[in-house]
This record gives sequence, structure tokens and C-alpha cells, in this order.
Amino acid sequence: MGTKLRRFSRNPATKAIAFILFVLLITAQIVSVQYVRFQGLNPDSLFVENYKDSGSFEAEVRRAISFTRDVLAGKAVPKQYVEFYYYINDIDNTWTNVKDASREFFAQNDTAFYAFDNGNWATGENTNPAPVVNDYYSNYDYGLKQYYTIYIAFPKSFMEQKQAAWQKNADRLMPFVIAFVAGIIMELLLLGYLAAVTGRKRGDNELHASGLDSVYSDLQIAFIILIPYIWSRIITGAPYIDQVRRAPMNTAQIFSIAYVVLATAAAFTAVGLLLLSMIRKLKAHRLLKHSLLYLAGYFVYDFFKSLFDGRRFSNYPLTKSLFYRQLLFICTSFIMVLATFLLIAARTFLCILPPLLEAGIIYWFVKGSRKTFDDINKGFNESFEGQMKSERMKIALITNVSHDLKTPLTSIISYADLLSNEESLSDAARDYVKVLVDKSNRLKHIVSDLFDLAKSTSGNMPVEFEKIDLKRLVEQTLADMNGDIEKSGLALRTKLPEGVFNIMADGKKLYRVFQNVVDNALKYSLLGTRIYIELENRNGTAVATIKNTAGYEMDFTVEEIMQRFNRGDKSRTTEGSGLGLSIAESFTQVCGGDFKVDIDGDLFKVTIQFKLAQNQVTAIA
Amino acid sequence: MDKARILVVDDDREISNALEKLLVREDYEVSKAYNGLDALDMVMTESIQLILLDIMMPKLDGLSATLKIREKKNIPIIILSAKSEDSDKILGLSMGADDYVTKPFNPQELMARVKSQLRRYMKFGDIGNGERSSRICVGGLCLDTDAKQLTVDGEQVRLTAKEYRILELLMSNAGIVFSAEKIYEAVWNEIAYSVENTVMVHIRRIREKIEINPKEPNYLKVVWGIGYKIEKV
Repeated sequence: MGTKLRRFSRNPATKAIAFILFVLLITAQIVSVQYVRFQGLNPDSLFVENYKDSGSFEAEVRRAISFTRDVLAGKAVPKQYVEFYYYINDIDNTWTNVKDASREFFAQNDTAFYAFDNGNWATGENTNPAPVVNDYYSNYDYGLKQYYTIYIAFPKSFMEQKQAAWQKNADRLMPFVIAFVAGIIMELLLLGYLAAVTGRKRGDNELHASGLDSVYSDLQIAFIILIPYIWSRIITGAPYIDQVRRAPMNTAQIFSIAYVVLATAAAFTAVGLLLLSMIRKLKAHRLLKHSLLYLAGYFVYDFFKSLFDGRRFSNYPLTKSLFYRQLLFICTSFIMVLATFLLIAARTFLCILPPLLEAGIIYWFVKGSRKTFDDINKGFNESFEGQMKSERMKIALITNVSHDLKTPLTSIISYADLLSNEESLSDAARDYVKVLVDKSNRLKHIVSDLFDLAKSTSGNMPVEFEKIDLKRLVEQTLADMNGDIEKSGLALRTKLPEGVFNIMADGKKLYRVFQNVVDNALKYSLLGTRIYIELENRNGTAVATIKNTAGYEMDFTVEEIMQRFNRGDKSRTTEGSGLGLSIAESFTQVCGGDFKVDIDGDLFKVTIQFKLAQNQVTAIA
Repeated sequence: MDKARILVVDDDREISNALEKLLVREDYEVSKAYNGLDALDMVMTESIQLILLDIMMPKLDGLSATLKIREKKNIPIIILSAKSEDSDKILGLSMGADDYVTKPFNPQELMARVKSQLRRYMKFGDIGNGERSSRICVGGLCLDTDAKQLTVDGEQVRLTAKEYRILELLMSNAGIVFSAEKIYEAVWNEIAYSVENTVMVHIRRIREKIEINPKEPNYLKVVWGIGYKIEKV
């Protein structure tokens, strides 16, 4: 699938349009239902083809039958002009509204003929028997005697007219039904799409929560149930204005429809948003966890767990005893309170016993806890002192080892020098002595670097903070190293913007930092390439970057190069202690800055960051 | 004049012996002591022109010895120590030492420092100070503003006009830090615009002329991130 499609489908505008369409469709459906109601269209006409089989006609027949019963019971005056023909005979009397009251006459109207004679109901050839089969009146107990004769028939012309109206009704309803079904399909599709893309954004595959997601799930469910309920109450409460069928809607009805539109749109917008929020939460697997019920359950669980869970204390004897004592105290106190109430209820004088016992328990608890706290304090102080002691020992160790290394080294260097001035030496011996002198001098540098690093990383290095200009420091360092830079044959490109970069740091240490980093770049750059040194102000932070192209393949990680004694070239042939970058990093940190190394192919990049001092204005004399 | 006698005080025999040989090679006479107390005795009884003194020693350490010696004698003291912290150096110098050299030292450099101290003490130490108002002196540096000449421990050093004016500015305001721009404007009489490099080049040249070890200057110092100054002694 193309990313283009994904970009489109995850576009917020697309999502918004889909959602609005969804709400509009639902509203339109509800309105059309309301409209159908107002138009008095009978939905039965869709399912029942013929009027004679319809419920409406069944009701007509029932009315007619009940009319005959009322006549027989003497409750109704037989009317001459009704929509149907009738003939009623109870031997004594005969009531009818036709001249020719023969069964044949009635049977002519074969689609709507009902007859009761010889104690049985019969119907016309094409008549729907439902009214007489189902009707309560078929029960003999209700006064329908064996000897009664009843004929009912609806005239053919009446039935044909009704059938035509029925058909028209169906024809008018059909478009609404098709639109309704299409609407439901559309809504399901839109809902599916929205469910799929909700919480997703262009450009990533993360799940993004929105404001509504912070509502607890059970509250969301409550709203999803409550809102449609209120909505249905509003809708049914909407003024239903019956009217002359097929006439255009009147003003009252139009207002009623507008009322329904607003209520529906509002309700389904709310429900839709809540539903999508729940889907997002489901996708993020926090639908359950992010609910009040879950939280309440978890709280209860955690309460009992923390009350009875002594496992995490079992490793520490002091807290273990504290915990069990506390548990015992809570339980016995609870029992004592319960016992007091019971004894008071029993109205015995013994009810003062549990409080007395409780006092004893409190005394025991406080006493025991105090002892435990004392022990904990003691242990804490001991460990603190131990730490201080080890810190002091570390300083002493550095100083002593430093002295012990430097003293013999002094002798070596001095005697090597004396030896090199000895005139009686052979040429070979002179060469050897030269090696001795060189290597002892290198050892001197390594030892010195090593102790600088040891002191700064162990936090035993005094740092003199003062306000210095980082830009000036970089310029000074580069000017100071000018000789080395020229010797190296590498070009230097600097980009130092105008202005002052005042920071709080130790100038001497920071000089070492830049010296080491530039030195490193000079040593390991590819011949003929350039070293880039840049300084910039990034939102109140001075950022210095030193970039160079390595003259060899840097097949190591940043972590490896920053480890003490590591050098880029595995052969370790170049001069230097291998501590340069470590010292630079440690010194930067000691000064309160940030030191970072990046390796990108052959590009070696060091970034040094310092917070700029507050008042930038101060110039230097 | 007789050969100068130098007292070497170090509890490490190898180092003392090496120092003795190095000094003898430079034509000095050498006495040796292995702790602070012996050193004190020898300073009082013998005629000694300079002391090389270790700090960490039995019986009496170098710093206390320096204090004691200073009560009686004005001879140059160079402290030789494995302690390389700035605070150690400042402590040693403030106790009355004239120089502070960290172990392991470069023998040539140490000899140069010995020579410099002796020269200042024997030839030149007592005469100059504050006699003529046209002389600005900081430690072993003396600038004669009439003759436009600089002497380092009594030895004349040749300076270019710019170098001279930089030194004059810094020495007459010893201890004060000047930015490159200030120096440039005072010396070149032009508006300064990215002059750090120009000034630094001159500073380096001056250092090579007046410092024993230009990489660890005693006088002309860079205050990193701020400017330059001549250390007040």
C-alpha cells in the first residue's frame, strides 16, 4: 500500500470530514423517519403486498365484528351507512344494511367476506382468515350463540380503492427505505475507517492519545449509554403534529424536525467521539486499565498486598522486624477495638479490659520501634562514615601512588640524561640511551595525564570557577597551538560568531579540553583535509563543535573511544597517552559542561556545550 | 669568584646522587642532606648559595624547612616535589621558596632554573631593587624604560619594539589581566579586530626570550578565556 494513501487517510482533515459525514448520515436517517411519521406512511405496506392481508385491514374487520357483537348484545344501534355490508340474525331479529341479504350476495365480495353460521366462522375464497382465526370473538364463551348467523363483507370497490392507496404508500416509502439501508452501510464503512485510523498520525506509527482519552473508560461507557437515552427521551418528546396526509409539512412540524436534527447531531457527535476514544484506548491496550473500576480494584488489591506482603523486607532484618511488629500491632488493635465494642454491647464491666491491654500493646510497639529506628540510624551512619573513609582513602591512594610513581621516574630521567652526556659511550649505546630518554619522557606524560584523569573523575580536583569568554578561549587555544597546526599540514576553518560567550568555568581546565580535542584532530586527521571549529549560541547554550576527517577507518564505537586508554589506531604507534579525550570529557564535566563525541563514517565530531552565564553584557577589561 | 655551593636535600638517595652529578657537571659544588633537620644544620654551618629541597621528607618536611631557613637566610630555595597541584605550588612559593619544580623534572630545565636563581642572587639580587624609578622589576625581569632594555636575571635580552611595548604595558601593571584587544590598541594604536592570533604570536615570542620553560611560564601567563598578564611576584 502506498504511503500516499496512508498520508491521505491519516490526514486530520480527511478524518474530520469522515466523522462529520457519519454524524450527518445518522441525523438524516432520524429526520427521514420523523418525516415518514409525519406523512403518516405505513411501513407495513412494504412487507405486505395486498391490503386485504394487512394489519390495517385486519383492524377494520375486527371493528366490523365487534360492531356485530354490540348489535347482538343490544349495545349498539345498527347503522345503515357503514363501509361494509352486514347481515345479523339471532332467529328472533334480523339486522342488515342490504336488500338482498343472501349468502351469495355477500360471497361475491370474495376478497373480504366473513360468515358465521352453524356455529362456525367461514371466509371468502380469497379472504385473509386471520381476523376470525385470531380474534377473541371466535371464543364461544363471549355470547356468540350456535344459532346466530352473521355475514360481513367489504364491497369490492372499497377494497380496490384501498389496494391502490396501499400500493402508492409502498411506492412512496421505498426510496426512504433504500436510502436508510444505504445510510447504514455507509455509516458502518465510515466507522470502520475511523476506527482504523484513529490515534494514528502521518509520518509515524505511534499511537497518539487525545484529550478525551483521559476520561476513565467506565465513565465513557456510562456516557455512551446515557446520551442516547436522553436523546431518545428528547426525540419522543418532540412535538408530533399529525396532519392531513400528503399535505406539505406545516411550520410546527418544521420546527419539530429542526429540534430533532439538533438533538441527534449533538448526541451522535458525542457518542461517536467517545466511541473513537474507546477504540484508541483499546488499540493502546489500556481500555481496561484506564477505568475507575480497575483503579479501585487495584487499590484494594494493593492495599491488602502491601499490608500482608513482607517479602521485600525479608532481606533486611531491621525492617523485617519493624514490618511484622506493625502487622501484629494493627491486627491486635483491631481485635481489641472489636472486643471493646462487643463487651460494651454485652453490658459487662469487663469492657475496660481490652483498652488496658491495648495500652500495653501500644507501649510494646513504640518501645520496639524505637529500638529498630536506633539500629537503622546506626547502620546508616556507619555506612555513611565508611563511604567517607573510602573517599579519603581514594584521595590518599592517588597522592601516594602518584608520589611512588614519580620518584623512581625522576631518577630514571635524571640518570638517562647523565648517561646521554657520557662521552665514553659507543654509538650503539648512545642510540639506546636516546630511546630511554624518549620513553621515560613519554612515561612522564602518561603518568601526569593518568593522575589528572584519576583526580577529576574521582571528584578530587579543585576547580576555580570564573566568568570566561568561551570564544576568546578557543581563539587563544588555537593561537597557542599555532605551531603544531602549521606543522601538521592541516587547514583549520573556524566559524566564531560576533559577540561574547561568557560561561562559568575553569579556564585552565577548559584550555586542556580544547587543546586535547584539537590535538586529537591534528594527530588523526587525513592529510590535506580540514578541521572545522565552530561556535554558536543555541538558546542560551554555547555550543562548540570540532569536526575532522579521520585518516583511518574508525571501526570502533563512541563508547569504545571514550574508554580510558583507548585510541583510534589499534597499533598504538602514535605518541600520546591515549587519555586525551577522556581527560577532555572529564574536565568538561568537572567544569559543568557537556562533552559528546559523534562518529559518522569518516567524520569525527566533538561537541562541547556550556550554559551561557546570565548577564551577557559584561565586557572584559 | 668561588664555585657556588648547592645543598641538595632529598631522602631518595638515587635522586640526590643524580642531582649531585648533574650539578657537578655544571661546575657547582654540592652538599647533600637526607632530611629537613640535617638540611637546617648545614645551612647554618656551611656557606651555601642555593638549596634544592624536596617536600616529602622524614623528620622535617620541606615546607617547614623553608620557613625555618627563611627566618635566617635569604638564599634562593628551589622546591622539588612530586606534588603537582597548583595549590601545592602556591603554598610552596608563599612559604618563601623562589621556584617550584615538579618531579619528574627535565634535568636541563632544572639546571637552567638553578642558574637563573644563582645569577639573580649573586650578581644582581642586592643591587637593583627600586633604585631608579625608570626600572620596572618583576622577579628576575627588569625593564629599563630609559634605555628601553630588558634584563632577565641580570642578562640582557633583545626585544623588538612591539615586544618591548607589550612587556612594558604588562609589567607596569603586573597582576592585571589584559585582553588581546586592549593590548593591541595600546601597543599598535589601531582599532582591534580579531587580533587574538597576532597578540598570541608576540606573547609566545616574548616567552621564548624570558622564560626558562615557555610551556610552563613563570612570568608571562595566559589567563584562559580572559586575557594575558605578568604574574606579580
